[in-house]
Amino acid sequence: MAMAEPRNEQLEGDVPTVQAVGYRRYHIDTAPTPDLADLPHRFLVEVDRVELLKLLVKETWEYWGDWDVVAARPCVYGVFSGPIGGFAPRPEHCVGCLRCTIQHPEAVTIRHNPEWKAWGDTYLSPKLVETILSEATLGAVPVKGQGYRGRFGGPGWDRIWTDMSEIVRPTRDGIHGREFISTVVDIGSRPMHLATNGDGERPRCLQLPLPILFDSPPESAQTVVMARLLAHAAEELETLAFLPLPLVREAGAASPAVVPQLRASELAALQPAPRMVEILDDAPAALALTDAIVCERLPFEPGWREALLASIAAGVRVFHLVADYHGRGDGRFVRDLVMEAHALLVEKGLRDMVTLIGSGGIAAAEHVPKAIICGFDAVALDTPLLAALQAQPKGSVTDAATARFRLPESLNVEWGVQRLKNLAAAWRDQLLEIMGAMGLREVRRLRGELGRAMFQRDLEREAFGGIDGYD
Amino acid sequence: MISVPSPRLVEKVTHYLHQGFHDHSHSLLEPPPALGDPRWTDELIMATWFQAEHGRPPDGIEHRVGRSGGGFDRLDFKFLPEGDWLAHSEDIGTAIPLNRRDPARRRLEIALPIYGGGMSYGSVSEEVMVSRAIAAQEWGTLTCTGEGGYPDGLKPYADSVITQIATGLFGVREETIQRAPMIEFKYAQGAKPGLGGHLLGDKSTTTVADIRESVPWVSLFSPFPFHSVYSVEDHRKHIDWAMIMNPEALISVKVSTPIDVDMVAVGSYYAGAHVFHMDGSYGGTGAAPEIAKKNIAMPIELAIPKVHRHLEQEGIRDEITLIASGGVRTAWDVAKAIALGADGCVLGTSELVAMGCTRCSNCERGRGCPFGLTTTDPELKEWVHPDWGAMRVGNLYASFQWQLRDILRKLGLGAIAELRGRRDLLRYIPEEFDA
Repeated sequence: MAMAEPRNEQLEGDVPTVQAVGYRRYHIDTAPTPDLADLPHRFLVEVDRVELLKLLVKETWEYWGDWDVVAARPCVYGVFSGPIGGFAPRPEHCVGCLRCTIQHPEAVTIRHNPEWKAWGDTYLSPKLVETILSEATLGAVPVKGQGYRGRFGGPGWDRIWTDMSEIVRPTRDGIHGREFISTVVDIGSRPMHLATNGDGERPRCLQLPLPILFDSPPESAQTVVMARLLAHAAEELETLAFLPLPLVREAGAASPAVVPQLRASELAALQPAPRMVEILDDAPAALALTDAIVCERLPFEPGWREALLASIAAGVRVFHLVADYHGRGDGRFVRDLVMEAHALLVEKGLRDMVTLIGSGGIAAAEHVPKAIICGFDAVALDTPLLAALQAQPKGSVTDAATARFRLPESLNVEWGVQRLKNLAAAWRDQLLEIMGAMGLREVRRLRGELGRAMFQRDLEREAFGGIDGYD
Repeated sequence: MISVPSPRLVEKVTHYLHQGFHDHSHSLLEPPPALGDPRWTDELIMATWFQAEHGRPPDGIEHRVGRSGGGFDRLDFKFLPEGDWLAHSEDIGTAIPLNRRDPARRRLEIALPIYGGGMSYGSVSEEVMVSRAIAAQEWGTLTCTGEGGYPDGLKPYADSVITQIATGLFGVREETIQRAPMIEFKYAQGAKPGLGGHLLGDKSTTTVADIRESVPWVSLFSPFPFHSVYSVEDHRKHIDWAMIMNPEALISVKVSTPIDVDMVAVGSYYAGAHVFHMDGSYGGTGAAPEIAKKNIAMPIELAIPKVHRHLEQEGIRDEITLIASGGVRTAWDVAKAIALGADGCVLGTSELVAMGCTRCSNCERGRGCPFGLTTTDPELKEWVHPDWGAMRVGNLYASFQWQLRDILRKLGLGAIAELRGRRDLLRYIPEEFDA
């Protein structure tokens, strides 16, 4: 395949190339950042006050004088520890242990709160939203007791389990000690060979310390505050935020961390050139119009394969492949789409020349390593950012054009930046957990490593093949 | 200030709790609306409470499978026509040998194809550990210390207690290794493969820290992996070390389920292990990152046939005991695991459910389990008395044995060993047949 020659003037512009910098271990500062708005509690605590009164009278009579016994409440989390105890329970403290309802079924019933269950949608489920809120609040890896509670395998990313090693670690210092696992990714072009005559292609890429970028919010959430907080958070995290050019201008959000989204024809008016631009229409045409790294936004729609190959041939090296918010595109799930894209580029001998950034269907921390294993270099988050900011979805939120979110009225930049930093820290730590278990030292080596994934379909065929009813 | 509860308070709370377990499991009350999840449904939990009270499975409550939509929940047995069933009899054997290769060591046989998995002191109370040990001794099987030391309360049951050596070596001493019938090297745990152990600071009380020789109220992380094991040769040295320290004991190697778990099994055999214990990814834990439970390593149902087949191909299958755990909930799961190729199973969560666990997943939080199971809080731990706990676990064993015999007789088999690897007796229930 004929490749377009890079323009020499690009090489001499202000676009940063890979830069040598002194060693600094990447670290995200987390800080507890409570929710702005009260969300529905997970559980409803229903108390039958007559039965409660009868119970109290009975116990007072039965245990008269043993006031510790009379006063003992069946909740260690404080649901019944308000001024009037069970007569005004505090469901915000309920963790669903059910001890109260096991002990006193006539007086207390614990139910799942239908309002909580309605939070999120069929893809970004209430459970995922709850996890994201916890991560954004604390910046920590969610840790809980008991084993897994969900379905066996499942749809989407849940069809994949990641591999681990019994005795291999990246280092012997342990994930909670001094072990270093790199999450640096390169965004840009990488030449396939060295040229010593000055005519060769030089690497033109940005190094980001984590493979997590921010995608532009849906139209219903494109506010000035949102643009500013995304830009600031991206800057503090040393990553990138994709934002529509008009919104960048309106919010005054231009920064090295912002990647304006625009049409090629708008490039001429974009001065000074940012580090990277995302072209929404004709990316090959944009190559001649800017010194910035050109990223092509390419939805997973029919014809994406041909468009991808044509743009690579024309010299585009960075692609933002976009599925809808449920991870669907071209009739399939993003897992299969990116595996196909990756395999296609490997087959053509092009894979190491380009960067593939993925969006759509990345809704939990575990989706990041799985998406990278399937072939993305990095992911750009969409709906998880909104969930972290307590943006309430209105109905099903499938795509950016039609998704409706209501942002918290008191949303502000400082709070939002810290929430996104917390989220990024929690997700990065979970990426480290997965990579540490595998014994991998850097995320760049995870890309396309399908041998690090175990697919439910393959394992079940191996385990159950030959059993009546399976085949 | 939390203090030891008065006897009357203990009496009151335990009375209410025991009454609640009874009433819910006997359909005298509606199931608690928030009880259960796809793996452990409300019915499965209540059926386990019933078995823990009566030693038999209940009628009218689903006690065989959950609703996870895969694995054990999609497998069933192809029973013979009713006229060909054997009579229900205690002659149907349920014992399995653990030592299949080493005449110089104990000829350890357990009466049931199940034993109790490692739960450390700190993750659970001493009362719970002793409950399990009493039941294990009464039923001729084993339980395991987990990685948190060997509380004195376990000493009377030493012949039934496996000493676990895990990566943090918490509470591991020469004498605890020397008194064990079997020593378990824990390389990994199914719920957190590749991540090591985890005890949050709130549960690392002064007594827990004392036995672990650590600092109170500081979170404890066991490293991963063993810092002394870089290769299968190092693994061999580990086993040699334990064998020299206790010349009678058997050696079990507990690992998780990576893609090459079959190769790991072969390596462990050649390193000298008597028991190869695989812990699948849906197993229980006192605390683990949520991302690990769901995503790292494969469920046990998928690992068993892989390892069984590979050991057969290597010609060593009959020289090592293959034990499965991690998501084994019911007697039916045990039987299916054996039909897929295991010799037996290890139980953990099922025993806790028998003692009142509702699977609320708050084991790691604050003072620990409000039912007195996964806690060392001086008040909460009193809700489980070892005699009561042992009776519940023992009854669960009785029910499992009864069900295993019932399954075997309907398959025309006279002993549990005959079921091993009989995939031809299983059928897979495709999704479209779901109600």
